[in-house]
Amino acid sequence: MRPVDSGAAPRLPGADEIDPVRRSVVLETVVRLVFHTVLVFSLYLLFAGHNSPGGGFVGGLVAGCAFVLRYVAAGRGALREAVPVDPGVPLGLGLVLATATGLAGLVAGGQFLESGKVSLDLPVLGVVKATSALPFDTGVFLVVLGLVLGLLRSLGAEAER
Amino acid sequence: MLALIAAHGVLAVLAPWLFARLGPRVFLVMALAPAAATAWAASSARDVVAGRPVEQATAWVPGLGLTLDLRLDALGLLMVTLVGGVGTLVLVYCAWYFPGDRQGLGRFAGVLTGFTGAMLGLVLADDLILLYVFWELTSVTSYLLIGHDDEDPESRRAAQQALLVTAFGGLTMLAGFVLLSQAAGTSSLSALLADPPSGGMVPAGLVLVLVGAFTKSAQVPFHPWLPSAMAAPTPVSAYLHAAAMVKAGVYLVARLAPAFAVVPLWRPVVLTVGLATMLVGGWRALRQTDLKRLLAFGTVSQLGFLMVLFGAGTAEAALAGAALLLAHGLFKAALFLSVGVVDHATGTRDMRELSGVGRQLPLVGLAAGSAALSMAGVPLLFGFVSKEAAYEAFLHGSTSDAIVFAGLVAGSVMTAAYSARFVWGAFATKNHLVRNEVHAPSPGLVLPVVLLAGAGLLLGVLPSLADPLVQAYAASYPGPSPEHLALWHGPTAALGWSLVTLALAALLFRSRSAVGRAQRRATRVLSRVDADRSFARVLDAVEVLARRTTAVAQSGSLPVYLGTVLATLVVLPGLALLLTSRVSADLTPWDRPLQPVVGVLIAVAAVAAARARRRFTAVLHLGAVGYGIAVLFVLHGAPDLALTQFLVETLALVIFVFVLRRLPATFVRRPARTSQAVRVGIALAVGAFVTGAVLVSGQARTAAPASQAYLDRSLDEAGGSNVVNVVLVDFRGFDTLGEITVLAVAAMGIASLVLAGRGRGSKVAAGETALTAAGGQATDEPGTSAPEAVR
Amino acid sequence: MTGNLTLALLMGLLYGVGTYLLLQRTLTRVVVGLGLLAHGANLLLLQAGGPPGVAPFVGPEGAGVVVTSFGEGTADPLPQAMVLTAIVISFGVTAFLLALAFRSWVLTGDDEVRDDVEDARVARERPQEQAHTDPEAEL
Repeated sequence: MRPVDSGAAPRLPGADEIDPVRRSVVLETVVRLVFHTVLVFSLYLLFAGHNSPGGGFVGGLVAGCAFVLRYVAAGRGALREAVPVDPGVPLGLGLVLATATGLAGLVAGGQFLESGKVSLDLPVLGVVKATSALPFDTGVFLVVLGLVLGLLRSLGAEAER
Repeated sequence: MLALIAAHGVLAVLAPWLFARLGPRVFLVMALAPAAATAWAASSARDVVAGRPVEQATAWVPGLGLTLDLRLDALGLLMVTLVGGVGTLVLVYCAWYFPGDRQGLGRFAGVLTGFTGAMLGLVLADDLILLYVFWELTSVTSYLLIGHDDEDPESRRAAQQALLVTAFGGLTMLAGFVLLSQAAGTSSLSALLADPPSGGMVPAGLVLVLVGAFTKSAQVPFHPWLPSAMAAPTPVSAYLHAAAMVKAGVYLVARLAPAFAVVPLWRPVVLTVGLATMLVGGWRALRQTDLKRLLAFGTVSQLGFLMVLFGAGTAEAALAGAALLLAHGLFKAALFLSVGVVDHATGTRDMRELSGVGRQLPLVGLAAGSAALSMAGVPLLFGFVSKEAAYEAFLHGSTSDAIVFAGLVAGSVMTAAYSARFVWGAFATKNHLVRNEVHAPSPGLVLPVVLLAGAGLLLGVLPSLADPLVQAYAASYPGPSPEHLALWHGPTAALGWSLVTLALAALLFRSRSAVGRAQRRATRVLSRVDADRSFARVLDAVEVLARRTTAVAQSGSLPVYLGTVLATLVVLPGLALLLTSRVSADLTPWDRPLQPVVGVLIAVAAVAAARARRRFTAVLHLGAVGYGIAVLFVLHGAPDLALTQFLVETLALVIFVFVLRRLPATFVRRPARTSQAVRVGIALAVGAFVTGAVLVSGQARTAAPASQAYLDRSLDEAGGSNVVNVVLVDFRGFDTLGEITVLAVAAMGIASLVLAGRGRGSKVAAGETALTAAGGQATDEPGTSAPEAVR
Repeated sequence: MTGNLTLALLMGLLYGVGTYLLLQRTLTRVVVGLGLLAHGANLLLLQAGGPPGVAPFVGPEGAGVVVTSFGEGTADPLPQAMVLTAIVISFGVTAFLLALAFRSWVLTGDDEVRDDVEDARVARERPQEQAHTDPEAEL
């Protein structure tokens, strides 16, 4: 990320593209503080979704909200700094991941999308259960995130000009 | 058999490629396919004539019970010989007929070969549906061949007319086939004929099938497409419109007659149409000046003759029909090809411009002359043998037979007269005309004519060569087997009538100018019932009807379309709901006390969204509704839904705001009160319908929910406690996979809608301003959607 | 099985208002109407699954109350999964329609849905009489 300008308050990278008069120090600061928390929360929702409320859809939407905040607070420059890739990348990755999970079931000798689960006894974390639903849900997460990012880019950033 | 048909298809596909290498000689390669078919038919002839048909069955669509059943019996053998033999000669003829640099000749060769394959399939098919498929294939290829010269409007019109008429007949025939196969319980042709069904559906089905046969074989009143089709190149006319395709209708009648001629409706319909066609065709042929049109009307006439013979349903008539089928294929193809030679050599085929051609092209003149004599029914030629048999078949019967016989004699008189007119018109030396410059045709053009005419002569002298074959077909009819074909049956009544026919024809030909005047006068009166004009009028009427329907049904207004759909929803299922369903009194006002409170809030917000004048207000109210729904989800026991709904509503608001930045702040008010009242009316009706449907359907549950299994298996099999999530990613994972695909497609659609016309900006990563173009406003004007416009 | 009168009336209202807006010419109002219709449909799906209950979580690790059978008042999970799908899909549709509205603004300056020009032309035009020539001539 680019070095922040010399202001006293921590600012969002890329925000200097908008008119200084229209910038809001409070908003930028708050967003800078919350952004990572929201992202981590979205990951929590993704991983916890199999057993408690949450899941790929909700997680993806929350993650998308984090980027919405960044864009709303500091404009398209900030969005560009935060997302260095084309929204098509998470979109495509998500689809590939979800399909690959399905095909894995086929390769393992079962049906397309047949689920499997393993239980690992890791030294520090204790017993960790992993199911094939997780990569699938991660695919969903990425697609939803990609959709929101795409909307931000097209209807948000591009339509601005 | 299948391999033979497939070989035609393969060659047809290869034709354009081969043409690029071989030029017009590509037709010689193409000719190998029908030649192989003919050779194969000849090799199977012994078995077939002995009553052992060759059969082949291949599975096609097992799920629908469709099979590729092919069968070669006596009638099939006759047709294959004709189709394959004439096809081979016509293709050879083509190799010298077309100049090598002609546009689209490769395509033409392919289509012509494809047609040959389809025609073989048609006559070999032993299944009604399969027959229909080949039938339509011949229609389509015929369309392409007639319209070969696609820059000539007349040829396009003729092609369209032929396609419309034959496709109309084909569809009618399909309906008839469906009726027949329903009545019989099978679509197998041989099974249908072996055990003919009966009942009310059978006559209806037969009439429909006959309409198909009549259109294909150019019977009155569907005949005008055939003379129009003379716009096609001459080899096509010789093959499709004389020897092969137009015989398909006759073939179908010949195929069905042994079993169905006893159905009361059959004979009156077929005999009337056939006789009318024979007379109309002959009458019209007498006044044509274009040699091809003369032959075309002659073909119409002869097809009517064939219809009569096969439709009569007696073994004797069928014998004559089979013989005439062969004879007509030989002499008509020869005559058409000879017209092609004359046209090639002189540059015209108008008999008002031709003179002295016979002297300069003696071989062609002789061959064509012998073919014309065969057509006229002069002894020593095969045409005579077959017509003699035809006379014989109708000479000794009832009153109706006598009427038919009179018609046949009248038709044959005209046939002989226009045969004479043809020879005179094409080859005679006319004193008032300048003799044509003739350049010699190549042997490749003359040889097929000579071979075809020679075959007619050979069979005329030795009819016993063809006798076993036609006898084998006639044997499929009930009753005693008819007399053998022969040149000399002794001094019979039929012979006498033949001589009378020829004498009358000579008289008719001699007084041709008087006949012409009479025809002109008659035409003035008859023009009102002219079939060609009627066809044009029907087409115009259809077009007017289509436009009016379109104007009414396709108004182009989105609210009208949606209103129609929704009104239908209310009227049809709504009426059913009202008439058949009762709501029991077992209703609760609410399940949770909070529900009515939230419900009222949602209702207020929804109505406010509809009434809002400002866009932003409407959107905010929609958001309020969404949050209210989220609360209802919580009350229902669906935390996942509530969470999702809440997030989606928030994001949707953001997106709305993005777009609303651009749009005007308020809605445009429209003063149309009546349409507003209609909208309100439809809206109220839909709302009432949904309320009723919810109450009724909520009480209509009979089966236990499927979800118990999900609850039971969720933890053990999928390792998850959140059953909703497990359903999404595991039990019904396929649905979810589909859904995220839809999301991806939507994302791409949105990107292309918004970024279209923004040049390379659409390709770079989010927000990366590769475009330094002027402010967005200026580039967003209409007409700048092309990427270049931005720069 | 009983019916919930409040929800039935609410669904009727959402459908009614949604329909009214759907029949408008302004794309923004159409989108709002479609949103209301989607809400109504989601409620309908959920309601079709039966009466409300405890959130469907099973097993030892579930959050909150754990139930294993319908008899004990669990909400039906299947319609919930369907509604979840429907919510996200309608979000996608809304976004797409908004992109359409945006495109319409780019091209015409507003988001009115106009009548199809081509259809109007077809409705106005009279078919032309075609001259059919008779190729026959006399000798």
